Formats: sequence, C-alpha cells, structure tokens
Amino acid sequence: MLTKLTQWSRLKSPWILHLNTGACNACDIEVVAALTPRFDVERFGILLKATPRHADVIVCTGPATRQMKDRLIRIYEQTPDPKFVIAVGACAMSGCVYRGAYNVIGGIDQVIPVDVYVPGCPVRPDAVIDGVVKLLNKLKG
Amino acid sequence: MNDQTLIDKAKASLGDKVLDITNPAPRRIFIKLKVDDLLAAVNWLKNEMGFTHLATITGVDLGQAFELIYHFANSFTCVNLRTEIPRDNPLLPSICQLIPGAVLYERELQDMFGIVVQNIPDGRPLVLPDDWPAGNYPLRKDWKYERPPEVIPGGKR
Repeated sequence: MLTKLTQWSRLKSPWILHLNTGACNACDIEVVAALTPRFDVERFGILLKATPRHADVIVCTGPATRQMKDRLIRIYEQTPDPKFVIAVGACAMSGCVYRGAYNVIGGIDQVIPVDVYVPGCPVRPDAVIDGVVKLLNKLKG
Repeated sequence: MNDQTLIDKAKASLGDKVLDITNPAPRRIFIKLKVDDLLAAVNWLKNEMGFTHLATITGVDLGQAFELIYHFANSFTCVNLRTEIPRDNPLLPSICQLIPGAVLYERELQDMFGIVVQNIPDGRPLVLPDDWPAGNYPLRKDWKYERPPEVIPGGKR
C-alpha cells in the first residue's frame, strides 16, 4: 500500500533541479522555455525547485568541467534518494565541442550516473519534456 | 586628436623609451617599449593623454620570450603598448597602482603563462580549476595535454 502510494506520488510530481555545469546557456534557455506555460509541464506535476534538497530529478546541462566536478558530486549527494539525473544536450552527453579541452572532463556520466540522455545542440523544449516523461515511464515499468 | 599628433606627442614625452612606433591602420597605434619603461608609459597614457580604459592585456608566446600587449582606448583611438619579457625569467611589474582593474588580467597572465607579476595586490589563481597541478601553464606553446581516458558507463554496445 505504502510503496504504491510513494510510487504514485513519485510519478505524479517529479520536482526537478536545473543545474548548469558549464554549458553555453543555450540549453538552459531551452530548459527554462520548457517550464513556461506554453509547454505547461505542470500538467505532469513537474516543478522547478531551487535547491537539490527538494528535488527528485537533476536536469543537468553542459559538460562536466574540472572545477565543477567536486561541486557536482556534492549536489548529487545532497539530493535525497531516490534521485535521477537527466543529461540535457550534446555537451552533457559527451562534452560536444568542449570535448578534449584541458578543463573539461567530458560528459556528466564521467562524474555521476545518468538515467536519461536528451540529445540536441541545443535541445528543443519538447525533447526535454519527452526525456522527463521517458524517465517516468521507466520508473513505472 | 588624430594619429599623427598622438605619435608626435608620444615621441616628445617618452623620448628614447620608445623603441618603435607604428601605425598599421587608422586609429591603431603600436608602441614598443622595454619592460622597465612600462609603468612610465602607462602613467603618461593615463594621466596626460586620458587613456583611462585598459581593454585587456594579451599574452603571446613567441618561443624565447613572452610578448605582452596592453590595449588602451579612449573615445578617439586605441593605443597598444607592446613589451617583451624573457621566457626563462618572466618577471613583469604590476600596473595596478595606476589601473586597479588590471588585477584580473594580471592574475590570468599568471595562471595561463606562468608570468610572475611583481607587486600584484592579489595574486591568487583566477581562471584555472582549484585542483589544477602546479607548473602547468595552458597557453604556453610547449605545454602538452594528455586527456584522461573516458569510461563509457555500461560499456560499448
């Protein structure tokens, strides 16, 4: 009963944390655009939270930079379990144009485990929503 | 103020401190100096000619020497002061006593080239990561970077 209830509440209200680990801000603008009433993600219960302590899903844009590595791990550890990570954009997936630079480690998955990858440079807001819904379907199944 | 009057004034005021002065394009003046005369030239530019805006400091690795270009601008023209320091003894006087905002550019020079800026008010690292190993200067031409191997989570399929 209780597990069913937690499962239901987890699926109906995934609160997200928008985290930029060194992106060029194009993906950030698209993520913010996805949160506007035009796309209306609140119908899925998706709500942007200001702190990792309130979040279930970390929506991460940008490559993992060397400076951000420890801070990224810290944010990941501050997020309460169960936590999920969505890598948004080509940079968060592999490093994209920043790949191989001396201050970039690579994609987010080099530092923390990633559940869903959303490709695009920058991603479309529809793709971000699709990524979150795919994650929710993964949790359902 | 046109370019020629400024060149004449520079020759009159700085005298033999000017090694070379060129005017490759309109409103662009390169003044070559010895590094010891840099502070005097910046003082002259700022206090007598009204060049209060230091756009940036460029560092160039020439192999045996580092060239530093100080880009000054006022509302009429740009003046670039060029100076060279030897690579094996990269000492540079700080111009922060004249232009306090130059501290950011000088800290970046210290990070990226390993230039030692003397009398800098705040010499902490600026642009490189906190865990950056000492003695690595990314903008030096002979600096090589070995990318650590990437792991693919879950392996290649």
